[in-house]
Amino acid sequence: MRVKIELGDVTPHNIKQLKRLNQVVFPVSYNDKFYKDVLEAGELAKLAYYNDIVVGAVCCRIDTSENQRKLYIMTLGCLAPYRRQGIGTKMLEHIMNFVQKDGNFDNIFLHVQVNNESAIEFYKKFGFEIVETKEHYYKRIEPADAHVLQKNLKKSAEPVHEDVRKKNRNERVNGVKESEP
Amino acid sequence: MYIFQKCYEHKQYKNGLKFAKQILSNPKFHEHGETLVMKGLILNCLGRKEEAYEHVKRGLRNDLQSHVCWHVYGLLQRSDKNYDEAITCYKNALKRDRDNIQILRDLSLLQIQMRDLEGYRCSVLEAKGELFLALGRTSDAAKIYRELLQRNPENRSYYGALEKALQPSTVDERLRIYQEIREKFPKAILPQRIPLDFLSGKQFEQAVDAYLQVSLTKGVPPLFVDLKPLFKDKEKVQAIERLVMGYCDSLKQTGKFHDTEDSPVQPASSLLWVYYFLAQLFDYLSQSTKALHYIDAAIEHTPTLIELFVVKGKIYKHARDLTSAYKCLEEAQGLDTADRYVNSKCAKYMLRAGLIKEAEEICSKFTREGVPAMENLNEMQCMWFQNECAQAYRKLAKYGEALKKCHEIDRVLLQILPSCFNIGGLVKECYISFGQHFSEILEDQFDFHTYCLRKLTLRSYVGLLRLEDVLRSHEFYFRAARCAIEVYLHLHDHPLTEENGIDRIDLVVYKRAFA
Ligand SMILES: CC(C)(COP(=O)(O)OP(=O)(O)OC[C@H]1O[C@@H](n2cnc3c(N)ncnc32)[C@H](O)[C@@H]1OP(=O)(O)O)[C@@H](O)C(=O)NCCC(=O)NCCS
Repeated sequence: MRVKIELGDVTPHNIKQLKRLNQVVFPVSYNDKFYKDVLEAGELAKLAYYNDIVVGAVCCRIDTSENQRKLYIMTLGCLAPYRRQGIGTKMLEHIMNFVQKDGNFDNIFLHVQVNNESAIEFYKKFGFEIVETKEHYYKRIEPADAHVLQKNLKKSAEPVHEDVRKKNRNERVNGVKESEP
Repeated sequence: MYIFQKCYEHKQYKNGLKFAKQILSNPKFHEHGETLVMKGLILNCLGRKEEAYEHVKRGLRNDLQSHVCWHVYGLLQRSDKNYDEAITCYKNALKRDRDNIQILRDLSLLQIQMRDLEGYRCSVLEAKGELFLALGRTSDAAKIYRELLQRNPENRSYYGALEKALQPSTVDERLRIYQEIREKFPKAILPQRIPLDFLSGKQFEQAVDAYLQVSLTKGVPPLFVDLKPLFKDKEKVQAIERLVMGYCDSLKQTGKFHDTEDSPVQPASSLLWVYYFLAQLFDYLSQSTKALHYIDAAIEHTPTLIELFVVKGKIYKHARDLTSAYKCLEEAQGLDTADRYVNSKCAKYMLRAGLIKEAEEICSKFTREGVPAMENLNEMQCMWFQNECAQAYRKLAKYGEALKKCHEIDRVLLQILPSCFNIGGLVKECYISFGQHFSEILEDQFDFHTYCLRKLTLRSYVGLLRLEDVLRSHEFYFRAARCAIEVYLHLHDHPLTEENGIDRIDLVVYKRAFA
């Protein structure tokens, strides 16, 4: 049987599905602000459907620290029984498309627990590299150390449309500060 | 656009119009296409059709490249039943936003709707088939029903008629009829489903094995309901239980329904649907511990699936744990607050658990803006709610409140029922002019009838009398009356005294009953 995998928006109606999914997929729990921001994140937050059942989700935000414009993957996960079937790939490809279309990002990055081999393998497949290891990054989980996985992007050489540049500048000003567990 | 969509979905029309005004009053956006069409859409919901069309057309003219504009124009056409135009609009919208799921969904729904034309031709054939059968021209009838099945192999009545025409004398002959159609339509459900009703023993087991596997792979949530009629036969339930338990073990170990070479590897969701089916099966068999075990396994497997919490609630309800039951429904409701079915199920479960305030609150999420929930609930679609409310009060020993509800149902039903029966304008007007106090006026028959005689022609007056005769035969009325009678009987057996007057009973109602 053909399986249908699709992405859909996070809305106030279905946000609890996202919460539930994150609760079982990640060892860290996210606060109300996280979910409030997700509702405003547009293409940067998506649910993944497997034959119309929510089985995965990705949530990102734009990070503008260190004079760079980066895309930070806050969470990207899939329910255990549905792994290794391309759902993670579908979500990551969506994000990489977004970043490419925008053309104005320096890199994509994220944190993973140092023992999370499947995630490290997964991201390496898409050209991410471990660029740093932060000790005691996590407060309540073991191991507490995190790798920073990063994929550098070449900025597109084409001139960007005036409107887009203005919009990006605004986002840079309004960019949220990192508030990770 | 997102804001508008939110306003539209939540029926906050006033807010929507406010936003539109804000945007359009800015000279730069005076003619902003998408804002204009959204304003039009909201106006349409408010019944201001002409203005709606004007706005949408203007918006579309200003932004022909926008999928939103085309989509909204399509929605408007559809609401006016201009289906062909609506389809054209949706297609135009899709050209501009190729994989917009919402538009695809709207388009496909319309196309399904349009199949009705084909349906019309079928009804001519159906009439012919019936006539041939009645005349005993069985081979002509068989030909017609075979043709009808070619067009729609999912119509149960055609199979019954075809059997009547062919008159198979053995089970095998009967089975042949269905196999023949299966060969032509390997994916059709009914030619696989119907034989399960008349097969038995080994033959049944083989057939149901195949049927279960197909459905569980596809993930058809109503599979259980579909098979329920078979459960009256003890042998059949046992066969089904044995098979599905077997799938469960095998899926966990090998990912297949049967541990054999030719059994295909299943998608991850098959095990989920197996758990879901077993939970319902054991619930049906009144084995609630087992049922809970399997529904919990399903929730552990896929904790985002709303149906699982609905079934878990049902299991608790059958085990008479009304509190746990409503909590499950509350969970389900929270996972998708746009689901009207789960929403009303949740309200019902809350009422069963005696939580009247909470139930009203849940219901109010789906009622119209600006109108108190209870007023909204006095519409026909919500009469079940009022009835459940009355029952809830009765169980809480709030007899006064319960009686008040029952009488309110009586009153409201008398007001709104006439619109459900097909009666002429004048009679309806007569009702409306008596308005609110209709039920009291009904009691004062004499005045009412002279009034009607003055106002109505004899024919509509007779219509009205007929209506009066059937008004109170409505199911909702019947249930409310029954509830009231139960309360009255209880009060008769246990007259209220100072001590047991838990609830300040509505004196008027009370006295009227026992005067
Ligand atoms: C990481 C995760 C999202 C991957 O999701 P997924 O849907 O299984 O990923 P895909 O099926 O698209 O995998 C794509 C490729 O990644 C690699 N990969 C994924 N999981 C792997 C694993 N456990 N071991 C080795 N390689 C793996 C493989 O090359 C795989 O391709 P293949 O299946 O054809 O061999 C999933 O394991 C997960 O949800 N983990 C828990 C949450 C988490 O840790 N997220 C990362 C931090 S944000």
